[in-house]
Amino acid sequence: MSAVAQGEPRLAHERSERWVSALATVCGLLLVAIAAEIVVDAAAGPSPVVPKSPELVGWLSGLGERLGYRGFLIALLVSCGAYGVLAVLARRFGTRAISTRWAIVLIAALQLIVFVGPVLLSTDVFSYVAYARMGVEHGLNPYTHGPDAIVHDPIYRYVGHDWDRVATAYGPLYTLLSYPLAPLGVVGALWAMKLEALLASAGTLALTWRCARARGFDPVAAILVVGANPLYFLYALGGAHNDLIMMLAMMAAVSLVVVAPAAGSSTRSARREAAAAAWIVAGALTKATVAVLLPFMIVSKRRLAPILGMVAALALAAVVGYAVFGIHGINIVAALNRDAAFVSTDSFANEIAHLLGKPGVFPIDHDLLKAALVLILLHLLWRTWRGYDWVAASGWALLAISVTSTWLLAWYILWPLPLAVVTRDRRLLAATLAIQALFVIHQTSPLLAPVQ
Amino acid sequence: MSGASLSSEERLPVEERRWERLPPWLRPRISEQHGSGRLWRLETTVLVVVGLFLAVAVVNDLARQTRINHRLVADLTTWRHYTDHDYKNISIDQETLGAGSDHEVLCGNTSGGAPGSKTQICLAIWGATVGGRRTVHGGWYLPPYYEDVRSERYGCFGAVRRLCPR
Repeated sequence: MSAVAQGEPRLAHERSERWVSALATVCGLLLVAIAAEIVVDAAAGPSPVVPKSPELVGWLSGLGERLGYRGFLIALLVSCGAYGVLAVLARRFGTRAISTRWAIVLIAALQLIVFVGPVLLSTDVFSYVAYARMGVEHGLNPYTHGPDAIVHDPIYRYVGHDWDRVATAYGPLYTLLSYPLAPLGVVGALWAMKLEALLASAGTLALTWRCARARGFDPVAAILVVGANPLYFLYALGGAHNDLIMMLAMMAAVSLVVVAPAAGSSTRSARREAAAAAWIVAGALTKATVAVLLPFMIVSKRRLAPILGMVAALALAAVVGYAVFGIHGINIVAALNRDAAFVSTDSFANEIAHLLGKPGVFPIDHDLLKAALVLILLHLLWRTWRGYDWVAASGWALLAISVTSTWLLAWYILWPLPLAVVTRDRRLLAATLAIQALFVIHQTSPLLAPVQ
Repeated sequence: MSGASLSSEERLPVEERRWERLPPWLRPRISEQHGSGRLWRLETTVLVVVGLFLAVAVVNDLARQTRINHRLVADLTTWRHYTDHDYKNISIDQETLGAGSDHEVLCGNTSGGAPGSKTQICLAIWGATVGGRRTVHGGWYLPPYYEDVRSERYGCFGAVRRLCPR
């Protein structure tokens, strides 16, 4: 009697786990199929999803049909749905629903499919190559000239119209990293940039795994939530954005702090904290946003080591940056102030302005948003001082920066995601995914009323 | 001894005892104090309110953009009907007659060819959509390969004559 009573729930449990596993498989396959469809169709010919680009993927060109914006949006919505289900299953059932090997194969497939395809949804990578070619091939300082200084260079015609007069806003470390790619030619440099983004993505996921395991979370669920995110593999990796390199440095710093050595002495952990601070500086010298992690780490650790690590890295960067690029190469604040004035149609600030009956964002709104951001950061710093997890606080800070920014792009709302999956405050992950969902919903107006 | 009344849970490690000179509410903590549920609830409430506000802003903007798209579809139909050309590449300008207004300027070729490669006719369109079209209030012409700037316009007609150079 009791054996039967125990056996029935176990049977039901096994059956439900099989269903969960099957559902996860279907969602994973759907994601792979959609990624492949987008890549093959994007390679088929002119598309609003694919920026004007030199011939990169000729061998894919005969396989698909031209990708329209509506078709892309439908694919994006379906893949977001599949990702949502997959993320819930991974977080709720862990390896009972999704095996480690299957998760790694799925994420690797998604990344590789996008890697072999054309550049998607952004012209930024052409700007990266242009800045590198300005420095190496033309002897121009990319911190004082825009790509319009090299109008006869073959990369110029692919640089986004909004950016052809704009000097680089990226950090000197990233610019130096891109310099060796310039002599590879335009196509070679683009492939190298794509490879750099792929490796940065793989590194970010590996470090996310490491941090999740060190903090007692399911690492499979953690990397699935990050690596199978459609904004991550379609927008960030598809556009070969250097945000992935910034995120790699960010996760390297976090893993140095949270993955404690087995029998860690105080000196050893101090060294790791100093190295972590140096990694954050390295990330900020790629893209400045990640610098926001530093105060949280310093306030949380309350030791000299991270401050020393930060100062040493900054000093080294200032010397090298100044030697190579002059004063403009190390004046990141000026570049940030310039970019902070831009307004994108997808920014929440712009949407709120429309809600309040204004035609767009006014200068006073920029000031109000900055004030709101400062208040949020002060609150988070206070919370961290009083024991709140600095990694979660950093994630909230990155999310607050993207939400209050008047220049918002899909890959900006990915910044907090790897941090959100390695923190105990589940609100951060919920808020990050909710913001991403709102961003995707805002893209869908061409589905409701196509202009033809 | 300022730290004498602290429970072992609140006690800072030896190397951080210097902070115990601060009043208790100012001291750093190793981890969050249990029972800080009130702050958590307050933060969560603020997050939910902000989230709802952003959701309303997004839906409102989506509806606004959809309305604009419907209007632009009517504008394109109007341009094609007025010129009797079923061309695909017609540029739409929402700034010249006032950003944020419902006044648009649509430019397209007067005869077949690549976009902008022939003399272009620009129509100033506004008003209510009736039968899938709006009203043409005037317009002007542009030479081939020129963008729509005041100095290049000629043959202005209707309510927008003032937009041509003298």
